[in-house]
Amino acid sequence: MARLFRFYEKKRGDRRTGSQAFGNFGEALFFGIFFALGCIAFVYMFAVLVWPEWRANRQFAPTTCVVVAKHLGVKAATANEPAMYRPEFHIRYQVEGEPYDVDEVYDVTQIYLPDQESATAILAQFEVGQEYPCWYDPINPKRAVLARGYSGWLYLTLLIPLSFLIIGGGRLVYALLDWNASAERRSLMTQRAAQIDLFDYDKQDRNFPSVPADANLTNSPGTTLAYRLPIAATTGWTLFGASAAAVLWNGIVIWFAIMAIRSFALGTPDWTLTGLVIPFAAAGVWLIVYLIRQLLKTTGVGPTRLEISAHPLSPGSPYELFLSQAGRLAMNSLEVWLVCEEKATYRQGTDTRTETRRVFGERCFVREGFQIHQGLPFESRCQVRVPEGAMHSFHANHNEVCWKLIVRGAVVGWPDYQREFQIVVNPAVNGQTHA
Amino acid sequence: MIHARVKIVLDAPTRSFNPGDLLAGQFVLEGIAPEDLRSVELSVLWHTEGKGEEDMSVHFFERLDPQNGQEFNPLLPHLFSTTLPNSPLSYAGFIVKICWCVRVRVFLARGKELSVEVPFRLGKVPQPEQAAS
Repeated sequence: MARLFRFYEKKRGDRRTGSQAFGNFGEALFFGIFFALGCIAFVYMFAVLVWPEWRANRQFAPTTCVVVAKHLGVKAATANEPAMYRPEFHIRYQVEGEPYDVDEVYDVTQIYLPDQESATAILAQFEVGQEYPCWYDPINPKRAVLARGYSGWLYLTLLIPLSFLIIGGGRLVYALLDWNASAERRSLMTQRAAQIDLFDYDKQDRNFPSVPADANLTNSPGTTLAYRLPIAATTGWTLFGASAAAVLWNGIVIWFAIMAIRSFALGTPDWTLTGLVIPFAAAGVWLIVYLIRQLLKTTGVGPTRLEISAHPLSPGSPYELFLSQAGRLAMNSLEVWLVCEEKATYRQGTDTRTETRRVFGERCFVREGFQIHQGLPFESRCQVRVPEGAMHSFHANHNEVCWKLIVRGAVVGWPDYQREFQIVVNPAVNGQTHA
Repeated sequence: MIHARVKIVLDAPTRSFNPGDLLAGQFVLEGIAPEDLRSVELSVLWHTEGKGEEDMSVHFFERLDPQNGQEFNPLLPHLFSTTLPNSPLSYAGFIVKICWCVRVRVFLARGKELSVEVPFRLGKVPQPEQAAS
């Protein structure tokens, strides 16, 4: 058996040494069961809820009945469920001259509810001995209802079996298509599925496959040059993360600190707790300092604007840059760097890690020792050139080569700041540029 | 059945191409009896190597399925050709490498499989340290 299937296998990310056929069978079986459960539950709910309600509303014939008796139907409580209630009526009516005497009638679903008061209120709406409209099933006149309508929110529960049906069915079809398919064929199927994009047909992707599209980088025209490059939105998230960490950490530390202080106030000092709180409080202070530095960096330095004469870039061609830095700052230095980085994402156990390696960095602009005045932004132009023959931008699921422009500022008495602007570099084809 | 072998020969012996060039060649199956052959898949593809999980994309794919009535004589060389795309170019970075190859995968009787590939170079991107200079 062990010769047929390797039960114990080595793995690194998606690379496994186990049996592919056994894996496919397991996946198909799992999602097959998922799908079957969804089917059974959906059919059951359709038969119990949807179909009877639709028939009662559309096909049941109206007549009048006399309420002979009424009582509160009770479903006794079990270990898992509380007691449930429903109004039940004993009614008498005639269909084509033939009398019918039916008990335990109210609605077609005969569902019990946990709310006793609602059931009692419905019972109070009907008087014994009085006539009321009712509806009977023409196929089986012994079946009648005193109330029609749809259960409303109960239909939401259909989403549960539907989600089982869609997820299970979809993955089952995928597993069956994947069965014994080679890695190349699977990749091709994935590529073709990815190309079915009805609303966002990316022409550039077809000209330069695996080169990221630049649509989001060229949708903002510049005031001086062709395009205003969008800033990489990392500072906002850093600030949010630092705020959340500082609030959460210090909230917990304050709670324990209060307990420690109380122990001193009551004359029974808890030295163990106090000893534990001190290093945690120190970490809390460090978090607050870090948050303040991030706040200063984000709000203290004015906006940085970077515009470029053309986009995407081609290796070997010169492009003009326009830099604008606002604020009221005494600058030690202001620099613009052209940078290329490789990024590789891999899994280690259950963790997903990304490693970044800088493979190119060139300073395109530097200015040292100057003042920026309020309302009068610092503005300057410079040139940028991606080296001839350099690797183009590349983006795949786990690997990336990305180019960016980085603005670095060193401000007197403030923490240094850095702002990144993503750019796309196209490959040079047969020595020609494609700007 | 004698020792099964797949031989892939590219028309350009340098195995170096520019974007838009025609990649042409042939493959020959040796030591495989026609009755043992289930199907053959020819792919022109790139895949990544290095630190990250492997990414792969197939540029050209041809499946030859003689069992489903497709005409294919395993005793004769099979010619193929495709125009290479503009990207991604072959690249040997520090932690990301992009490798192009022609791969032939042969599916034999009793679930056996044979895979052979011939690498080639697309574009002339130098190694990163050369570009930096």
